[in-house]
Amino acid sequence: MKILIIEDEKALSESIATYLKGQDYICEIATDFNSAIEKTELYDYDCILLDITLPGGSGLSVLKELRANNKMDGVLIISAKNSIDDKVAGLTLGADDYLPKPFHLSELNARIGAIIRRKRFGGSSIIRFNDISIDTQAKVAAVNNTGLDLTRKEYELLLYFISNKRKVISKTAIAEHLWGDEMSGNLDFIYTHIKNLRKKLVEAGEADYIKTVYGMGYKFTD
Amino acid sequence: MKLLAKYNRVNILATSIVFMIGGVCYYFILHLVLIKQLDKDLRVEEQEIIDYVMVHNSLPDSADYNDQQVAFEQVAEAAKRKFGSFDILKKKDDEYITIRRLMFPVNISGVNYKVSVSKSQQETEDLIQLIVSITLAMVILLLMVLFIINRFVLNKLWLPFNNTLKQLRQFNLQSKKNLELNDSGINEFKELNKAVKVMSSQVLKDYESLKSFTENASHEIQTPLAVINSKLELLMQSENFTEQQMNGVETIYDEIRRLSRLNQSLLLLTKIDNHQFRETEEVDLARIIVKQLNNYEELIAAKQITLTQNISETPPVLMNETLAGVLITNLITNAIKHNIDHGSIEVVLKENRLSVSNSGSELSCRPEELFERFKKDTHQTESLGLGLSIVKKICEQYNFKVSYSFINGIHTLSILFP
Repeated sequence: MKILIIEDEKALSESIATYLKGQDYICEIATDFNSAIEKTELYDYDCILLDITLPGGSGLSVLKELRANNKMDGVLIISAKNSIDDKVAGLTLGADDYLPKPFHLSELNARIGAIIRRKRFGGSSIIRFNDISIDTQAKVAAVNNTGLDLTRKEYELLLYFISNKRKVISKTAIAEHLWGDEMSGNLDFIYTHIKNLRKKLVEAGEADYIKTVYGMGYKFTD
Repeated sequence: MKLLAKYNRVNILATSIVFMIGGVCYYFILHLVLIKQLDKDLRVEEQEIIDYVMVHNSLPDSADYNDQQVAFEQVAEAAKRKFGSFDILKKKDDEYITIRRLMFPVNISGVNYKVSVSKSQQETEDLIQLIVSITLAMVILLLMVLFIINRFVLNKLWLPFNNTLKQLRQFNLQSKKNLELNDSGINEFKELNKAVKVMSSQVLKDYESLKSFTENASHEIQTPLAVINSKLELLMQSENFTEQQMNGVETIYDEIRRLSRLNQSLLLLTKIDNHQFRETEEVDLARIIVKQLNNYEELIAAKQITLTQNISETPPVLMNETLAGVLITNLITNAIKHNIDHGSIEVVLKENRLSVSNSGSELSCRPEELFERFKKDTHQTESLGLGLSIVKKICEQYNFKVSYSFINGIHTLSILFP
């Protein structure tokens, strides 16, 4: 699947590209307004990451141009301006989501996954990881077609893990994904959730996929 | 004291003093002139008598008319010629009248006579009195007219000034509107309006630039934070770290998040300060509270906190939806963060009052300092110390009353909606 990263900060766009390439995406980078317009006119992308402040013009104009040409690529706005006006303007112009900077790459990846699922499969998509399957429309998970009894947060946690499979995810990223960024301080409570999820997966006959990476966070891997 | 009253006081006092001094001078000058006129009449009479004596070589008859008396008296030595005013008792009315008298000597065949010619001064006095009365009446009339003119005309003259004052009172930085000042055609007010206009547009400009500076600075910080954050996340994927290195990466990662949360909170405070959350709507607080309590139920359970909810249907509160969310979230997370294991939280929403209580150790700072920026409990090093400042700022924005109490180990934050 093809992703276009429109972001003038090279160090950031390269990090994003590196992370996403590990998730089997093909990434292209545009660093200014003109190259962004050029690329979006020539090619179709599954998802476009769009920064609002670009050299040569506004990211919102790129979005306008895109939708005016009837291109339905998924668009995720990544902006340093965490302003409601920009958010509303972006979503009104047809952006699919809005993520303020700075963000966790794992969060960005999860959001991209959600957009692509929505665009490509009309929302009814099954994500698989070995025997685990997640129906993102019905919001249920199953192991070998046997339903897993998960709480809402456990379901979200599993989806987050599988979206970022084989990547180390920090505790902070998990906490902020599940509870928003208001929660700071001691993040030990996450451990309880991980433990419960792990237990439910193992009881359903799966291997213990959730690895604790000492001092950093967790990794969902086989 | 009003400028008009002060001006009137000075004006009327000065006018009165000037008129009084003028009146006294006027009286004496008039008196002098009229006496001179009387003396001239007496001299004419003297000349007539002297002419008579020269022609007839005898004294004329002494005469006694109403307004003029002539009397002769034989004296040993020639008398000196002199004028004089005297008060004499008038027999008829038994009252004093003032007369003007001229005495002069005549010599008839070697005999010296003293002639005195007198004229009543009464008519002169009457005339003076009349003139003075009329003048006084004129002065009083003039003062009254002056007073009225001052009152009405000056009020009208000050109208442009009062307009300017009104505009200044309504001047609001948020509305970004320049002052609309009318041209009064009066130079002083034109100058004032010009100065006020220059000043207000300068203030607006400075305010705008300060505002955009604060926002831009915060935004500019986000990008490097995003770069650092992403690089660290990539670094974390590396598999050959020692334990020590991992700890280092985690610490840096956490601190970067802290810095970015701090930055976002400050940006939020600035935005509230700048009234950038203008749209208000009817917000159902009960719905937001229930939603947020659900969102944090695992965190509450993790600390084994007992949650008591007493949320009744209340009339909607008119405020910005985003800020309402921030307000509730901050109150709830505050109650969770500063709680103890096996503690309790009670959320009560009733009529126009929302209170969130939680168990916890006593504050290490004074209660008044609780809402100040970067004031935090010394035990809570992870906390930013901005949550309650944001709560207070939002409450100030909508004139909600926020209060804090600590009774029997329970901290309570209450918000009273108008």
